[in-house]
Amino acid sequence: MTQAGEPVAKAQEPRGGLIWSILGQYGTLIVLGGLFVTFSVAEPKAFPTSQNLLNVLNQVALQAIIAGGVTLVLVANEFDLSIGYQASFAGVIATGLIAFSGLPIPVAVCVAILVGAVIGLCNGLIVTKLGVNALIATLGTGTVVVGINYAYSQGQPIILPLNTEFTQLSLARLLGVPIAVWIMAFVLVALWALLNHTPLGQNMQAVGGNREAAGLAGVRVHRTIIYAFVITGMCAALTGVLLAARLGSGQITGGDGYLLNAFAAVFLGSAALRDGEFHILGTFIGVLTVGVGLNGISIMGAPIFINFVFSGALLIGAVALSTLARRYGPRARRGY
Amino acid sequence: MASAVLSESQSSVYVVEVVGLSKAFGAIEALRGVDLTIAAGEVHGLVGANGAGKSTLVNCLAGVVQPDAGEIRLNGTPCRIRDARDATDRGLSFIHQELSLIPKFTALQNMAVGQWRRNRFGLVDWPALRQRANEIAQRLGFDFSADEPIEKLSMAQRWFVSIGRALMTDAQLVAMDEPTAALSSQDAERVFGVARELTGHGVAVLYISHRLEEVRSFCDRVTVLRDGAVAAALGRSPDLTALFRAITGAEMSAPTPHERTQQGEALLEGKRLRRYPAVRDASLEIHRGEVVGLAGLVGAGRTELARLLFGVERPDAGQILLDGAPVSFRGPHDAIKAGIALVPEERRSQGLLMKQSVAWNIGLPSWDQFVYDRAIPLINRRELREVARSIVQKLHIVAPSVDQSVSALSGGNQQKVVIAKWLVRRPRVLILDEPTRGVDVGARAGIYALIRSIAQDGVAVLLICSDFEELTMCDRVLIMVEGAVVGELVGADISEERMLQLCYASENAS
Repeated sequence: MTQAGEPVAKAQEPRGGLIWSILGQYGTLIVLGGLFVTFSVAEPKAFPTSQNLLNVLNQVALQAIIAGGVTLVLVANEFDLSIGYQASFAGVIATGLIAFSGLPIPVAVCVAILVGAVIGLCNGLIVTKLGVNALIATLGTGTVVVGINYAYSQGQPIILPLNTEFTQLSLARLLGVPIAVWIMAFVLVALWALLNHTPLGQNMQAVGGNREAAGLAGVRVHRTIIYAFVITGMCAALTGVLLAARLGSGQITGGDGYLLNAFAAVFLGSAALRDGEFHILGTFIGVLTVGVGLNGISIMGAPIFINFVFSGALLIGAVALSTLARRYGPRARRGY
Repeated sequence: MASAVLSESQSSVYVVEVVGLSKAFGAIEALRGVDLTIAAGEVHGLVGANGAGKSTLVNCLAGVVQPDAGEIRLNGTPCRIRDARDATDRGLSFIHQELSLIPKFTALQNMAVGQWRRNRFGLVDWPALRQRANEIAQRLGFDFSADEPIEKLSMAQRWFVSIGRALMTDAQLVAMDEPTAALSSQDAERVFGVARELTGHGVAVLYISHRLEEVRSFCDRVTVLRDGAVAAALGRSPDLTALFRAITGAEMSAPTPHERTQQGEALLEGKRLRRYPAVRDASLEIHRGEVVGLAGLVGAGRTELARLLFGVERPDAGQILLDGAPVSFRGPHDAIKAGIALVPEERRSQGLLMKQSVAWNIGLPSWDQFVYDRAIPLINRRELREVARSIVQKLHIVAPSVDQSVSALSGGNQQKVVIAKWLVRRPRVLILDEPTRGVDVGARAGIYALIRSIAQDGVAVLLICSDFEELTMCDRVLIMVEGAVVGELVGADISEERMLQLCYASENAS
């Protein structure tokens, strides 16, 4: 009833705001740089070689594709826990279609990616039209996907004969660079352009930033979220197909592990360059950080359990970092 | 001014005494030296038009707002109410119009929230709570089980639960904000009955309402606020005209019947629109090039009507016509396609994405106008910036650059950005909901000049504003009362007093 005016902007700067804001914007880059320097000093012969760095890129390529995809869902302020299972299933489908049904390789790959799109569509519809919380919805669809996966593969890995053209997807090189790295570059550039330079991408940012305001500006909120899930599903499937090519077989749980590392990478990425926002370049930096870390650890001959401890700790650290970045980032300090 | 009459004069100490209370928000003086006393066992009415200071006064008592000057005494002792919890602990209870009950919880659970009694095992002592709740239910004459979930109860029953909850905390004062706004007259009677039951036990009731007839018949004393000061302190059953004069500062005259002006074909038309609970029977027409004001007391359903016209919600009944043809919007995107634009009530949370730049916010509804090519939909940033720049210049928006994030702009300039984003689309109908809220006085004039010039370009403008003085710039003003459009003012008839008269007169006629 009273025109109370604007709420007074909280002008007080939190103590140590500058440090946090630097950490928020450059934290991940600092971590990446730190890891790089540490491993270079510890393993000067094995780590900082062009061959090993190309190897790191090749190792992170699949990770980058799936993480790039899930970035879209996170930008739209949703979540997708089904990506790992989707990747596993896509690998099984692709190999299965080649081995059981004798489909040509390009067709099999396309069908696998299409299946990813359909699962993404289901996720999107359940989240928007049924209004199920995204965490629960995607956990549910992911589990159903595991079930279908077992039914299709009958619980057995689908092994392809060695040296088919399919495995060339992983082995072949173009200009000395592995095909997977080229695919990663293409996918990341496409996702980056989509997110930053197309109406759909801008609408994802609008929906993620303020769903109500976006809707009142005419953004079709549900449609936008569904697209994000579909694209995420396709990226997950592509990762799964490339993984199957790399392994030469469709492993039922092969892609499950991508879930955790993808989220670690995306959250790490949100604390790179832009304070607490998810973006594709950041995701790539995040993926590199995870990849360099795991690569260095394995070169130093650490036992396997260290990998899990490292990944888990990195995920928590990354989320903490991005939360702090959002809270203390330079924009937040401008007063809203 | 009628002297304060106390029916039971033996209760000499007032439960609440407010002395010289003042509060300013920036340049706006919401309260200016308000005095008010509430005795045990009385129903004290509090009335006033929009912005008279009722909410601020209640918020001071509730500890939500700290007064700048003056004193609040409880049972004769001066005290500072630190926050909402403190107010509850001191026996002050507040029931707001949108009852803060938890829908899934039962009546009993809702009454127990926040005052869980524990047994010796540290667990919630349900039997004790139940016994106490049952006592209260019996006292208030609940006609439903305390184990019913809130969502299954009627509005009146929910009010009973809210009142019961106040009693659980041994409230000395229960403030009720517009309890009957959503109730039928029968249910309203029952709420009065329950309130009477409270006062019979020595509880004081502060009763805030727009319905003067109710206030007249139900309150022991009435305090009228106008422009942040006490305009009158009246006794039991005050004269309706005196009450009205105190609220509006003008004489009451008979309301003129609602006559539609004939102005050719309407551009946008609403026919008997209904949407439960806020919009009950709203009809209106807006023509090309005119600015139509929508006046009403807070809670009259104006925002809800605007949301119907913009497709945010769909009407339960009634029709929306555009150029005389019925339309049905599946969402704002449909309304926007049809040429309707809405500047929403909450600029920061509904109108803008605060982190994004001026240019980005201007482009948001219109990306497809800025793509290079439909097949490869990449946004032409340069063109977007250029268009943004020219419109920023045209509307005199003060911003260092169109790449500046809107959060750095002043309120008035932010509001202009919200308007600017629609102008890019050349809307045919522009609906503005409280466009000057939180905008300083100087910038308000700029916004009204802008609205006027938009109308001159042939746009039909619907303007919702709670400050009736600002509505005098309109070509026509419609009066909305309790979800229905009940009156219209044209030309020389448009004045603050007439608007208030129609708001209150119709309120009490219904």
